[in-house]
Amino acid sequence: MGQKSRKIETMIHYLILAVLALLFLLPLLWMLFASVDPHAKQALKVPDSVTLNNFKAIITDPKLIRSFWIGLLISACQAVLVVIVCVLAAYPLSRYKMKYRKSFMTTILFMTSLPMTAVIVPVYQLFLHLKFQDSLVAVTLFLTASSLPYAIWMVKNFMDSVPLDLEESAWVDGATVLQGVRKIVAPLMLPGIFTVGIFTFTGSWGNFFVPYILLQTPEKMPASVTIFQFFGSYGMVNYGKLAAFSIIYSMPVVLLYALSQRFMSKGFSMGGASKG
Amino acid sequence: MLKKKAGSIAGLLSVSMILAVSAGCGSSSKDASANDGKTEVKIAWRFSGENDITTKYLENDFIPEFEKANPNIKIKLSPITASEGDYYSKIALSMQSENTTPDIIAEDTFMLNADANAGYLTDLDSYVKDWPEWSNYTENLKAGAIAEDGKIYAIPGSSDSRGLWYNKNLFAKAGLPADWQPKSWQEVIDAAEKIKETSPNAIPLGMTVAKASGEAVSMQTFEMLLYGTEDTLYDSETKKWNVNSQGIMDSLKFIDEVYNEKKLAPSMSIAINSNFSSVMFQDKFVNDAAGIILDGFWNTSNWKENGPAPVANMTERFGFTAMPTENGQGAGKVTMSGGWTWAIPAKTKDKEAAWTVVKALGGAEQQAKRAIADGNLTVRQDSAENAEYQAQPFIKEATEFLNNAHFRPANDNYPNVSVEIQNMVESVATGSKTPEAAAEDFAKNVTRIVGEENITK
Amino acid sequence: MEIADSRVKVKRLSDTKKSLLFLIPSLILLLIFFIGPMVLTFIFSFTNLALTGAAAKHTEFVGFENFTRMFEDPEFRTSVWNTIVFVFFSAILGQCLLGFLIAFMMKEKNVTFRRIVGLIIIAAWVTPEVVVGFCWVAFLSDNGTANWLIGLLGFKPVAWLFSFPMVSVIIANVWRGTAFSMMVFQSALDEIPKEVEEAAHMDGATRWRIVTSITIPMVKGTIATNLMLVTLSTLGVFTLIYTMTGGGPGVETTTLPIFMFKQAFVSYQLGYGTAISLVLLAIGAIASLIYMKILKTKV
Repeated sequence: MGQKSRKIETMIHYLILAVLALLFLLPLLWMLFASVDPHAKQALKVPDSVTLNNFKAIITDPKLIRSFWIGLLISACQAVLVVIVCVLAAYPLSRYKMKYRKSFMTTILFMTSLPMTAVIVPVYQLFLHLKFQDSLVAVTLFLTASSLPYAIWMVKNFMDSVPLDLEESAWVDGATVLQGVRKIVAPLMLPGIFTVGIFTFTGSWGNFFVPYILLQTPEKMPASVTIFQFFGSYGMVNYGKLAAFSIIYSMPVVLLYALSQRFMSKGFSMGGASKG
Repeated sequence: MLKKKAGSIAGLLSVSMILAVSAGCGSSSKDASANDGKTEVKIAWRFSGENDITTKYLENDFIPEFEKANPNIKIKLSPITASEGDYYSKIALSMQSENTTPDIIAEDTFMLNADANAGYLTDLDSYVKDWPEWSNYTENLKAGAIAEDGKIYAIPGSSDSRGLWYNKNLFAKAGLPADWQPKSWQEVIDAAEKIKETSPNAIPLGMTVAKASGEAVSMQTFEMLLYGTEDTLYDSETKKWNVNSQGIMDSLKFIDEVYNEKKLAPSMSIAINSNFSSVMFQDKFVNDAAGIILDGFWNTSNWKENGPAPVANMTERFGFTAMPTENGQGAGKVTMSGGWTWAIPAKTKDKEAAWTVVKALGGAEQQAKRAIADGNLTVRQDSAENAEYQAQPFIKEATEFLNNAHFRPANDNYPNVSVEIQNMVESVATGSKTPEAAAEDFAKNVTRIVGEENITK
Repeated sequence: MEIADSRVKVKRLSDTKKSLLFLIPSLILLLIFFIGPMVLTFIFSFTNLALTGAAAKHTEFVGFENFTRMFEDPEFRTSVWNTIVFVFFSAILGQCLLGFLIAFMMKEKNVTFRRIVGLIIIAAWVTPEVVVGFCWVAFLSDNGTANWLIGLLGFKPVAWLFSFPMVSVIIANVWRGTAFSMMVFQSALDEIPKEVEEAAHMDGATRWRIVTSITIPMVKGTIATNLMLVTLSTLGVFTLIYTMTGGGPGVETTTLPIFMFKQAFVSYQLGYGTAISLVLLAIGAIASLIYMKILKTKV
């Protein structure tokens, strides 16, 4: 009996999962079809004819391309910065017996819970007083800071799982602490580092709110803002172009994820994200 | 010792890395601002999309001519892409610092008082004094550029009027006249009901009600109604707000009747969308799927040859008639007039250069060109005599409406009150509040904004 | 050897000064861009700071005015309620539960099938938030795919974003966020040794028993942590709602972040907006304290 009910259960699982996957797929399918449809409408439909004009219109628009690069620059710089800074910070937190470590980590964990986009007004005022307004560097640094607590927390957990022995033997061979970090700890933590980096990148790539408020010059706006402005605030929406832009815009994240999927799944299971 | 070294290296390294990376981020952001010794003047306005008229006007008509006449000034376009509501906040944000402020901004007259009181704008009194052309500006439009303190803070750039657009094909089908002039609100509703009967798939009557449309809700819809009743929003003599008037109730009831009771309005998906006006004018109306729309004269620009939805014979297909007063009282017709101005922010560095550009923008010929491009009314009497300007479709009607024009309250609380109007209108149109409840909340909120002492008892 | 050993010891010794050097970059960044705005939030929420009008020029302290106003403001109460509904249904019920169920059902299934299903769900997750918003607006529009689908089932089209705005944004957020929970649970479930469940099965335990008394207890920690992460990140969701409904119609999808934005940037009342931010921060803080307590987090 057990065997049979088990089989039925498996069948049901397959069925439910297939339906769910289909439901998850539909909005994405619309995007794919609409992007090559010369007469794209809101409804999902297989295009009668296929065109690349929608993509062409996006790629040949220098303003959009510019914003795309700026967005890439902000998000990439932010991700790299976050990784470097939080690995450095996580090291003593994981390795040294510091006096204030416990309270520091509690504070960090606590900080991860604060929704930073909510405090955009004070941030804006701060930028105004420090003359940071309209500065891409400052925006990047702010974004970096706002993802630091989460990153430090995760990386520290990853680092805890890297055994100290390996490092010690490197020290015995005369390596400095920093060399130890770079040559021993970091490589072993690659999955974790990738997870953090990708998380950071994805989060800031889609974030239009922060640059929208903190930047003023139209030419400095990253892709997240231009795509919102391009389609969100006026006119009849050109669905084909919207879909094409969306696909191009999603590409960096998809690629990044595809390239590092190996690390990501490890990153998840290494317990950084799932560890209490 | 080793330990120490390692630590300091770590510190140094990390700091230098941050610097290096952030420098990398920053390097591309620096604009190569080599202007060959020219003064750069940045103009900001609300960019409304691919077919933005102001962009076309500035790029094709204004800049080439201006830069030829003023070789030492270079104009830089700094359009702000934002919804109407967001535009004013974006402008205000950028005017707070000399690093980010545009040198000239397009300012809607209703924001002028608020921004002037905030200290964002340059007082132009002394500039205007030495400008002989100022006398060519229409007198009552000058008033719109003067703030509560009596100083001039902007130069009018365009003016407008509002009325009822109607579709002659649908009217013919419904047995309504091609030269329609309703005498009361009731007649507007009657016409809409006939359209509903004869063209069941068309939208009988459209009015902007979505908060997402911002000021348009207040001006194109609510105030067009309110100023056709016995009441006004604000008493400019006593400087008090009228928040408990019968006029407000009647206006809300009209909206309720159209949207909920008689279902003469567009479906809610269209009505609450921020694209409402584009959908109505570029799609529904031109495809004979909308009968009547209460909106502004400038919508002709949609149908021009180079517009987003060209209509060759627009005067044959559409009509533009004055909005009647509630029961035909007073002159029987009413319109609201507003308009855009050019202002110079207080933090602009080179105000002389900016003023030179503003003067040029306000010249007789440029004013006519701008008005034609925008599909708006000109602000100068001499520009109005321009032949091309006068030959525009519906210009006669739109200008005539101005005889019964009202202006929005010149008070720096107006923008906030307007937001409350938008909330009130949307809540009634969507049926989430009754007109009574909405009016009550409105009165309460406005009282909080302007203070008990500034409310008409 | 002995020298080396002592060197190693030295390296492991507690050394607050040196660890500070490692911490300096993060401390500086956090101080300027994290602690700074927090302090400012606290200060500004007691002022009448405004974006335009006379108050923009002369900002004054107004005591608790913003807060008394807030607690009398029916729109504020609605926003709090909306936030609770949004977080509960999209984060807790939606993402966490659905994520767990998917992860659970995917266990021990055909590898290719797993990969395809996983990929589709993850594709939704990596799609940028703005794009998700636009996608769903199109999907739920009058002539959109959703209406086409229910049309196939014989239902009349629905104006989703108008008639069921909260349901719409919740569905979109579940669509977007489920992958995260799914991945977290997948890796947790994969770590459960097969033998444990098999042994229970041999002992004649029913499927349901195995799940409730073995599987779930074993991933309890993961569930709690994931709940916390998802709840807190959902609390701050702005872009998705803003692109889909702008908080409307009326105030039906106005959650606290949207309410803050409207007050600060649409009504130009920065001080009031900041006071709302403070409340939002407080809610996040309380939620995280509760979770930390429950989890008894080891730091």
